[in-house]
Amino acid sequence: MSEVASGEVVRSEAVSSEVPAIRLQDVGRDFRRPRRSLTQAPPVVHAVRGVTLDIERGERFGIVGESGSGKSTLLRMICGLDRPTSGSIEVEGRPIHNQPAARLGWLRHTLQLVFQDPMSSLDPRMRVRDIVAEPLVAQGQGSGAARRARVVELLEAVGLSADSADRYPHQFSGGQRQRISVARALAPGPDILVADEPVSALDVSVRAQVLNLIDDVVDGFDLTLVFVSHDLSVVRHVCDRVAVMRQGEFVEVAPTEQLYADPRHPYTQQLVSAIPDLHAALDGRAAADLARAVRERSPDA
Amino acid sequence: MSTAATGAAGAGRRAGDEPVLDVRGLHVRTRHTELLSDVDLTIRRGERVGLIGESGSGKSLTALAVLGLLGEGLTATGGVHLAGHEGNLLERSEGGLARIRGDDMAMVFQEPMTALNPTMRVGAQVAEAMTVHGSASRSQARRRAVDLLDQVGLPDPEHAARAYPHQLSGGQRQRVVAAIALANDPVLLVCDEPTTALDVTVQALVLDLIVTGVQSRDAALLFITHDLAVVATVCERVLVMYGGRIVEAGPVGQVFTDPRHQYTAGLLAASDLTAAGARRERSALPTIPGTVPPAGRFPDGCVFRNRCPAATGQCATRPPWTPRGDHGAGETASGYACFYPAGGELR
Repeated sequence: MSEVASGEVVRSEAVSSEVPAIRLQDVGRDFRRPRRSLTQAPPVVHAVRGVTLDIERGERFGIVGESGSGKSTLLRMICGLDRPTSGSIEVEGRPIHNQPAARLGWLRHTLQLVFQDPMSSLDPRMRVRDIVAEPLVAQGQGSGAARRARVVELLEAVGLSADSADRYPHQFSGGQRQRISVARALAPGPDILVADEPVSALDVSVRAQVLNLIDDVVDGFDLTLVFVSHDLSVVRHVCDRVAVMRQGEFVEVAPTEQLYADPRHPYTQQLVSAIPDLHAALDGRAAADLARAVRERSPDA
Repeated sequence: MSTAATGAAGAGRRAGDEPVLDVRGLHVRTRHTELLSDVDLTIRRGERVGLIGESGSGKSLTALAVLGLLGEGLTATGGVHLAGHEGNLLERSEGGLARIRGDDMAMVFQEPMTALNPTMRVGAQVAEAMTVHGSASRSQARRRAVDLLDQVGLPDPEHAARAYPHQLSGGQRQRVVAAIALANDPVLLVCDEPTTALDVTVQALVLDLIVTGVQSRDAALLFITHDLAVVATVCERVLVMYGGRIVEAGPVGQVFTDPRHQYTAGLLAASDLTAAGARRERSALPTIPGTVPPAGRFPDGCVFRNRCPAATGQCATRPPWTPRGDHGAGETASGYACFYPAGGELR
């Protein structure tokens, strides 16, 4: 962890005095479980523990972890939807960990989210035009005509035709709905795009389309990307640098290629060796080999 | 009846080349729409066959039709034959099917929490699979349930047998479902996306358990998934499904390295995130244009022609099945249905 931190210092000197897009310092989040006994304190779950991290501007940062590793809790805090119990979070140099939601309006311009399941994150009773314009309306940006023009511009940027603005979410396929989500996220002109498992609900052929779209908008709009997934091969494709999360902690943070080629932490090694890979399987790696690798490399063993 | 059945079962188990599952010309339709069209598949003893395709291609429907679990309003026609059982399973009564299901053919479902009974201890659920089919007395079944839970790798099986499903993790629940499916030593195990809901490390262990369970019983496996890497890891032969039809079939190594059908080629290209070189330059992934149409809206002729880069007017007629190589399980076991096959010089 300390190595990672010192690496960051060197890097931020190199890009002169620029402030990182997101800075986390010793962030922790505890949840209290219901009391089980009258005489003992209620048990505490440490969902996130001591996470320190700088995400540079323009970086594509990935967070991987299995279910229950704390990645969603961390993400909620980065987006200002939850507050840490300890530590500090700064977005573009401004603290968000100690601010009430009413004073985080600026954060909604700066940082936008794409969720996993487009069917549950798009209001089924709103037309696409209103869905995409909603962030603008909520922040009182632009006149009606300006917003309509912006909606058309955004839909075209994500590869949908302008006439889809009049339709409802259910009239679109899964991949197209995820395009609508991306268009909505881009509406206020954010600097940071946070994507929470954006392709997990999609089919393989459509997944490739949406990954290409995310690639295009991150390049085209000069965004910082925070990409959370349980699928290591997707993260490998998308991200420059990856953090591996386990039991609320970052066990390893490294540039993508290094992480996959030479994982240092036993848990990362276990995770990397458990991914079924088409080429390796064709070369004869069977299920028994994957399972053996998982058992041998168990960090608890 | 019972002696005839056991006699046939014995014969089926001895003959190595005798198919365990033989599906011929399976059609499934609602009143208005044809959902599955002319599905042929054969699985021999000890063979592990994968069925891949995107959602809406008809994979799960195929499995449900084979097990006789189709919902209200769906009718299946064609032939489904299981080794050791006379006649067409599609023509059997529900009672007749219930005697085979969970006994000679068993299924592992995607979501273990819905497959298990939340109000029963898991040991009792494993034992029940044996007592309802009369393969063990109650006390034997209870003892064997603990053995089975041990076989599928649950820690402290004596204790685990007394647990309720909600007290177990997702991976442990899926192990219990596998124990139930393997309880009566089925000749055919059908797995429908058994590891999609699991983490990668748990997935690796559950896949191993399924393969080991099938191999030790010399049973046939039909493994349904959308994950090509998982199929390549688990199966020897693969069937590619699209629009309710099998569009390509063959040994995993052949289909995945040298696909013939344009859909298979597109699917492989789109899912290969680790293709060397392609990713460091951040070049766009190859995609299949468009999306899978809803059931009933697939084009006639070749079902893939509205998304296919090679389609011409000829594709409006249905492409015939072209056998490829000489596969022991018959000509439907390896081949493709495409007029303009990829890598076509060998056609």
